[in-house]
Amino acid sequence: MLQQWVQYFPDMMKGVLITLKLTGSSLVVALVFGFILALMRLSTSKTLNLIGTWYIEIVRAVPVLVIIFLAYYSLGNILTLSGFTAAVVSLGAFYATQYGEIFRGAILGVDKGQTEAASALGMPSRTIMRKVILPQAFFTILPPATNQLSNLIKDTSLVFTIGISDLMFQAYSAASNNFLPLDMLLEAGVIYFVFYLVLSKLLARWELNVQRSRS
Amino acid sequence: MHIVGLYISPIAIGALKDLILTILSTLLSFVLGILFAAGRLYGHPVIKLVIGWYVEIIRGLPAILQLFIIFFGLTQIGINLSPLTAGLIWLVAYGTGYAVEIFRSGIMDVAQGQREAASALGLGRWITMRKVIVPQAFALMLPALTSFVVLQLKNTTLLYLIGYADIMYQARLGADATEAPGTLYLMAAAAYLIMSLVIGRIGYRLEKRATAYR
Repeated sequence: MLQQWVQYFPDMMKGVLITLKLTGSSLVVALVFGFILALMRLSTSKTLNLIGTWYIEIVRAVPVLVIIFLAYYSLGNILTLSGFTAAVVSLGAFYATQYGEIFRGAILGVDKGQTEAASALGMPSRTIMRKVILPQAFFTILPPATNQLSNLIKDTSLVFTIGISDLMFQAYSAASNNFLPLDMLLEAGVIYFVFYLVLSKLLARWELNVQRSRS
Repeated sequence: MHIVGLYISPIAIGALKDLILTILSTLLSFVLGILFAAGRLYGHPVIKLVIGWYVEIIRGLPAILQLFIIFFGLTQIGINLSPLTAGLIWLVAYGTGYAVEIFRSGIMDVAQGQREAASALGLGRWITMRKVIVPQAFALMLPALTSFVVLQLKNTTLLYLIGYADIMYQARLGADATEAPGTLYLMAAAAYLIMSLVIGRIGYRLEKRATAYR
């Protein structure tokens, strides 16, 4: 049994690489798009506000797997996406809603007096956002953002359904080679769990540091 | 439009199946979740540890991996489950992991003063729990419980991957037969969207009513 674990370990690591690449790319898309969504929902323009709100409400209510299938199989008629691009687009589109709400909450959470003080000093509103609000919102963003990152890593496992050879895919194909599904899935599970533990330990550290630095 | 008419009833039946699974698994996970939460808060240290790790493992592993371990993995040790059984077991196991944390923080969030006041009035532990803590905790937990039900509904999608005939399964069949995947997957998305919105609406109504307790 152990021999099988060792034998397929290199394959699993190849999968991990793809999983990490996918996580990184989707995270960038989700952060950028999420920030735009947050700004839309905070803007004074009614139309932008409505679009942002509806986008978040709708996309959040649909399972990630459905979004992946929509992007991969349906957009194919209009423009052909590679599996990897489709995965990045759909994970990015879904997680943008999560990050959008996190950003919005954090920006709203910064005391109103800060904005007022800054504008009394004659700062333009872009500078206020960049120099006053965002640095303060950053610490409120960190814990939920890390949490979502660990959700994102877990959800990348869904892309094996469109044939991307990530960790989950490697575990599945190893299992169909050696007929030891329990062993192979558990091996992948251990690897996923390590990522989860590292992230949640990091998170606990961060929270401690932030509490210390702010008290 | 022709395609929509052709596949609307299979997808509706799939939706109904998903809804029943969601309700059933939610009820079971709530019962287990309350028991586990009580165990984690007031139980023996060993019980606390075991439940703590259970929650971590459920939260730390990808949903699809857990489902595959139950459905494919267990065949290695001679346990063959039908897609429905495996799916239901997983939904309850997964839901319980999340429900524990909701109930635990709900119970903890009710102020300590409430508990002290109740015991100063000579109320027993059980009565305090039932008449003082739970009604207040319930109101606090409602938003989390609503999103829990939506999460469970979305999780039922994964059952398609082990061959259970839910919405996605029907959409896939249709997509393969008609070569119009866009329409079919949009119909699936719409089905989930409608159900999620209805659940959200019900949750919102309940919340409004429950705030009367506070």
